[in-house]
Amino acid sequence: MIEERSFRVVLETPDGIRSIDCGPSEYILNAAAAQGIELPVICRQGRCLTCAGRLLEGTVEHYRPDAYFPEDKAAGFILLCRAMARSDLRILTHQEWEMRAHRLAHNLPAPYA
Amino acid sequence: MATSNTVQPGDVTQRVGVEVIRARGVDVDKLIKMLVANAAAEFASTYYYYTILRMNLAGYEDYKEICEDARLEDRAHWELIVPRIYELGGQLPNDLKAFHDQAGCAAAKLPDPPTVVNILTLLLESERCAIRSWSAVCDMTFGKDPRTYDLAARILNEEIEHEAWFIELLAYERDGKSIPSGHFRRGEPGEAPYSKNRGFYNP
Repeated sequence: MIEERSFRVVLETPDGIRSIDCGPSEYILNAAAAQGIELPVICRQGRCLTCAGRLLEGTVEHYRPDAYFPEDKAAGFILLCRAMARSDLRILTHQEWEMRAHRLAHNLPAPYA
Repeated sequence: MATSNTVQPGDVTQRVGVEVIRARGVDVDKLIKMLVANAAAEFASTYYYYTILRMNLAGYEDYKEICEDARLEDRAHWELIVPRIYELGGQLPNDLKAFHDQAGCAAAKLPDPPTVVNILTLLLESERCAIRSWSAVCDMTFGKDPRTYDLAARILNEEIEHEAWFIELLAYERDGKSIPSGHFRRGEPGEAPYSKNRGFYNP
């Protein structure tokens, strides 16, 4: 059996810097929860923006998010409930209101804004 | 910050009913946004799209009826929560697309292909998003805003039942397993035992 490679993910949270391991088919949010780090989330559909983070280093792939726009990617925003690691990562968490402000500034859907 | 004690006699620009919950620590502006997002999910993400899903359950008349119960109860949730938005000093967007874009849950659009398993999976995940969304409102208002909490809890009760229905149906259709919901169908379509039978606004 070939083991899937696990990536190292550094999370910059309001409570400090935490590190987790994240498999390539695992949502970052779920990996964090499994390793004792509860991050904000509501819909788990890649829509409501509650789980938003900012990608500081590395590459992620979103799996079927309900709404994720090129403008989001260009600004470095990611949705942790639907994002999977494709490399080692460094992520700034708790960016929901920053992402909503970004969406509004680009005239894009911003639930809860 | 204004509190309930600062509302002057005859002042119609403030509401004691709002200031008391603000004084207890509720971020009223944030609460209003959450309620608008949840109302949009009930109306625009589920009630509207469940109409289409129901139409496409041909040959599964029992499932069609259960989908209809969920559809009508989601409409009841919308009816139940909208007055509270205005009561708190908020309002709905005066544009349907803007309202749709505020929804905190994904639109339950007819899946491709529209098989019974795909439709039941979509219904299940839609209900799960509703449970998470109303739980967030309950968490925000518990012990601080009893009126909004009561409304949200009524809705949450029914969303939890909806999830159980669709787990039962999907497990049977997809996996050949029996995972009982513990419920029977409603007495009448969209009966809404929690959100209508002790009605605030739409008895």
